[in-house]
Amino acid sequence: MAKSLGIFVTSPQNMRHVMGITKAAKAKGSKVKVFFSWYGVHLTKCKEFPALCELADDVSICVDSYKNAGYDPADIPQGLEAKKMATQSQHGEIIEDYECYLTL
Amino acid sequence: MKLLNVYRSEPSDDTKKLVEIVSEGRDVESFNLNVESPDYDALLDKVFTVDQTICWW
Amino acid sequence: MSKKVGFLLVNKEYTLDGIRSTLGLAVENMYSYAYVMNNELAELSDYHKENIEWVRDMEGEVYTTVDANVEKHGMVKITLEEIGKQLRDLEIIIPYGILRSDKS
Repeated sequence: MAKSLGIFVTSPQNMRHVMGITKAAKAKGSKVKVFFSWYGVHLTKCKEFPALCELADDVSICVDSYKNAGYDPADIPQGLEAKKMATQSQHGEIIEDYECYLTL
Repeated sequence: MKLLNVYRSEPSDDTKKLVEIVSEGRDVESFNLNVESPDYDALLDKVFTVDQTICWW
Repeated sequence: MSKKVGFLLVNKEYTLDGIRSTLGLAVENMYSYAYVMNNELAELSDYHKENIEWVRDMEGEVYTTVDANVEKHGMVKITLEEIGKQLRDLEIIIPYGILRSDKS
């Protein structure tokens, strides 16, 4: 039985892994939540980001990180729901509510 | 205690030391993400069976 | 029961945000620890100083392997070996951001 999976992304280098792991996890029937923080938010500008938002059960980003990385919080990344421009509490949700945890 | 060490890049000497200490006396597996085409399916099979996964840099 | 989490911060471009994330989980009722390894921080803003104090107020700690961070910022000195031993007691271990190859 596939377990639920939370992924905390802080590196701007791992989009292929985020996509690859999410695809594989969904194929196994897992529930997947991905939270992007600090320079990980640069990945919201990758062409695969909208597809990730479709594929995963829940995608959110740290809006403070987004702002500090030089982006306008009014410029919501394509594919992301406005309410998912969120806070570090999303990280807490991943740890509390998901069975497995990965950092990328 | 089953532990999975995942490597995102070539581990530094400090990373190797931490892995050694954290892994001591535990049932340990490892997985290298730092390859051209990682087998994500195989990675998840391991992630779902261990007690803890650490994704080192 | 509250989870124990540790952030491993090895890159000074990521360290201050890693401390912010450490606080983010402390306020989620977790025992949250930061380990600043091999990177010396310049002067801290009041905001970042407060983040460190709040982590402590919430029963977390900010440790460092770097003497200058102890002297300048009041972080708690720790060795690499001691970090390894502490990590054995944590449920979630977060190698944060990307690794630097140098040891500035």
